[in-house]
Amino acid sequence: MSYLTVSNATKQFGQSFMALNGVSVAVERGEFFTLLGPSGCGKTTLLRSIAGFNDLTSGEITLNGANLRVVPPHQRDIGMVFQDYAVFPHLSVFDNVAFGLKPRKVPAAEIKTRVTQALDAVRLGALADRLPAAMSGGQQQRIGLARAMVINPQLLLMDEPLSNLDAKLRIELREEIRDIQKQVDIATIYVTHDQEEALAISDRICVMNAGRIEQVGTPQDIYGNPQTRFVAEFVGTLNLFNPGAALDAMLGHLGLSAAGAAAWAVRPEHLGLIASGATAPADAAVLDGIVTKFTYLGREAHVGVETPAGNLVVQLANPGMAASRAAGEKVSVVVPQSAPMAFDAEGQRLGRKG
Amino acid sequence: MPRFNFWTVVMILTWLLLFVLLFIPVGSVLVSSFYDQSGNPTFANYLKFLGEPRFHQAFVNTLVVGFGGLLGALLLGSIMAFCVSRFVIGGGRFVSLLAILALVSPPFIGAYSWIVLFGAGGVVRGFLRDLGINMPPIYGVGGILIVFSLKFYPYVYLMVSGALSNVNRSLEEAAEGLGLTPLQRTFKISFPMVFPALTAGGLLALIHAIADFGTPRLLGRGYNVLATEAFTLYSAEVGSNMSMATTISVILILVSMVFVMLQRYMSRRNVYHGNMINKPSRIRLKGWRNVLAHFAVYFIGLCGAMPVIISVIYSFRKTSGPVFQSGFALQSYERILFNLGDVVRNSLTFSIAAVVLIVIVGTVVGVLVARRTNFNTALLDGAFMVPYVMPGIVIGIAFIAAFNTGPIVLTGTATIIILSVFIRRLPYTVRTTASSLRQISPSMEEAAVSLGYSPFQAFLRITVPLIVPGIIAGGMLSFVTAINELSSSLVLYVGSTMTMPVRIYLLILDGDFGTAAALSTVLLVLSGCAVYIAFRFMGRNEQALL
Ligand SMILES: Nc1ncnc2c1ncn2[C@@H]1O[C@H](COP(=O)(O)OP(=O)(O)OP(=O)(O)O)[C@@H](O)[C@H]1O
Ligand SMILES: [Mg+2]
Repeated sequence: MSYLTVSNATKQFGQSFMALNGVSVAVERGEFFTLLGPSGCGKTTLLRSIAGFNDLTSGEITLNGANLRVVPPHQRDIGMVFQDYAVFPHLSVFDNVAFGLKPRKVPAAEIKTRVTQALDAVRLGALADRLPAAMSGGQQQRIGLARAMVINPQLLLMDEPLSNLDAKLRIELREEIRDIQKQVDIATIYVTHDQEEALAISDRICVMNAGRIEQVGTPQDIYGNPQTRFVAEFVGTLNLFNPGAALDAMLGHLGLSAAGAAAWAVRPEHLGLIASGATAPADAAVLDGIVTKFTYLGREAHVGVETPAGNLVVQLANPGMAASRAAGEKVSVVVPQSAPMAFDAEGQRLGRKG
Repeated sequence: MPRFNFWTVVMILTWLLLFVLLFIPVGSVLVSSFYDQSGNPTFANYLKFLGEPRFHQAFVNTLVVGFGGLLGALLLGSIMAFCVSRFVIGGGRFVSLLAILALVSPPFIGAYSWIVLFGAGGVVRGFLRDLGINMPPIYGVGGILIVFSLKFYPYVYLMVSGALSNVNRSLEEAAEGLGLTPLQRTFKISFPMVFPALTAGGLLALIHAIADFGTPRLLGRGYNVLATEAFTLYSAEVGSNMSMATTISVILILVSMVFVMLQRYMSRRNVYHGNMINKPSRIRLKGWRNVLAHFAVYFIGLCGAMPVIISVIYSFRKTSGPVFQSGFALQSYERILFNLGDVVRNSLTFSIAAVVLIVIVGTVVGVLVARRTNFNTALLDGAFMVPYVMPGIVIGIAFIAAFNTGPIVLTGTATIIILSVFIRRLPYTVRTTASSLRQISPSMEEAAVSLGYSPFQAFLRITVPLIVPGIIAGGMLSFVTAINELSSSLVLYVGSTMTMPVRIYLLILDGDFGTAAALSTVLLVLSGCAVYIAFRFMGRNEQALL
């Protein structure tokens, strides 16, 4: 049995709204597990039921084999990091971090060493005696992190801890969180709606949508092998082909088919561009088209191309000066044989033949 | 669950409290107004109100002093707010101290100080007469309006200067960029932005003006308003007419209800905050403009604080009986010490008792309102509006109507005075506690729970320390209101429960200004200390005095 299990969790708000609708997840010891999904999909609801701040309508939660639902929240021994930091403004940084050690009856001398260690780990050692009120968001969240970790909880929960910080700090701090988590080796559930963040720090990601789980897997799985159209679209971007003769011709050329396919799609970075009329590489099809838009982003460039099989975005890595395209230019889009993905009418990924 | 039971008990007790201290008194006033003196149901009281010119006059006069006070306060308050927030004024902190002084000194002190200066035997008037300038004494409606304007302008000043310093300068710059002249800019951009604050502050002045009893009583000389009319009818030695007094109380409640509703509506609209990156800056005026701005600000400020200054000075003057002699002495204070110790003691014990009650009950009920939304707290919130529309005189009459006979008899006790202050000030504390609780993120307590504290401990160790400074500050401000309360105490006191404001009022009627001034000074010092402590706990926040 896994370290933390949630089985068949449902949570109903009001008469009929289901914030969680049959969610089951299993988290292993020391694992960094991320809940990823759009706003309102139930991530916070799931996290808070694990913390005990709201009770499930039905379902089971076990931690280390014990039923968690009968334990009151303050006895669950679960550390939590909040989106709004929730740092206690009337306590010094040191006292904030020491706060959770007091009810655990840790001797004063040990409190001192443990808090000092935790503060050093989040690089706040020098600010121990200050009041947190005037500190920056990044510093406050570091306090929150140290405070949750120092009690050596059985489980660490973080609800969008970085979403109130600016982009650069977000990247910096997420690396730190990841490193510290590996050091202390506490199983962690991390909530975010930022796909890049999820890919960067997780051991496994659970993608949620409308109170259900879409897919659970490693970052590589989620990105490279999405099991549903929702996952493919939410994590990364997706080009959908228009159904019709052009698509059929292309699939025929590549020798691809899937029974019951309702939609074919391809990721922009799997596509290539060649000059109009140039010969296609082996194991690939070409679609002739006209450039509609060129967006230069430094590390990459996005080229919008109107083809008979639909409007496709082609992502070019490391575009040089020469890669620039003008609207109206004739080009051919290269679709490698491995690239297209098929989905059925419910959005489930289908296996391909060919 | 025990927690649930605790809050249910609190809820029931709160309703019980409101029932006894609010619904029964208000109900008694209403019922009494529909009975005649011998206990037969009748509409005669209202017909009499409609029929008698004297009551018409009182009604009209009430509106006159209300709107007059509103206009005066608007004029003085907005001039002061505009100058202070747009121009560099030397000693700006001193100016707002003057406004605070005007705000915390009870209005009847103002009335009597102006009598000292401009009354029949007034100092300034006498001086002017020696110069050959004859001015009429200050009595009558003119005097009342001057006192109200100078007493209530801080409401407008504080609200409007708050709003003005929140008008984003970019807006005015944008208007400038669009080619509007400075005058157009003021009327099209700044004015609409501060309009809600202007009206809200003005209406606050109006509400206080129509509720005030001491000023028209001392200065009016026959200029009757509803508040004085109700008091006269109630207190007449011969032919006291409780039915008519309650009828007038009902009318007064209805009138203030209209304006309180309007005021609340305008204050809610007062929400232009926007981003404050581009704070308005103050212009340094040059030449005569600078002199004019300084003159305006200091003139208003000093006139508003004049009663305080006068009573402090006069409290140290030498007296012979009630007559002032030249030179200074501590006689007036000696008189307080030897003859009026019990009055000071009464005031202190009643106020402290009321404040302790207000703080405890107000905090618990505030937590209830903020945290237990599943209860019918909206209704509770509405019920707490009622004391806002009850002028002190009406509360007094209502308490007499309710607790003179029947199951609970409290007339003549200290309890009734304490409770009357308590119920008037309780809503304020409930509201401030609830709103400061709503500002504390719930994740703060959740963090403590996740760290191993039970919900109750989390509340005690996290939430309570965070709201306590605000509660202490609120308690201090309640103390200021409690110790300065005249009108309800005037209805409710008996010889042994006389308070300082009542004594001052009686001393002024007796013409003993020296002792009145000394007693007023004591009152001011106590109020000043309380305000100082409040500001120490919550930062200097004049807005909290509103
Ligand atoms: N106390 C509540 N009462 C009613 N509905 C609620 C309550 N809490 C959450 N919901 C609803 O449940 C759904 C899931 O909410 P939840 O907070 O779990 O979303 P989320 O995935 O965390 O979203 P976000 O990324 O915006 O934080 C939302 O539609 C929300 O409106
Ligand atoms: Mg959320």
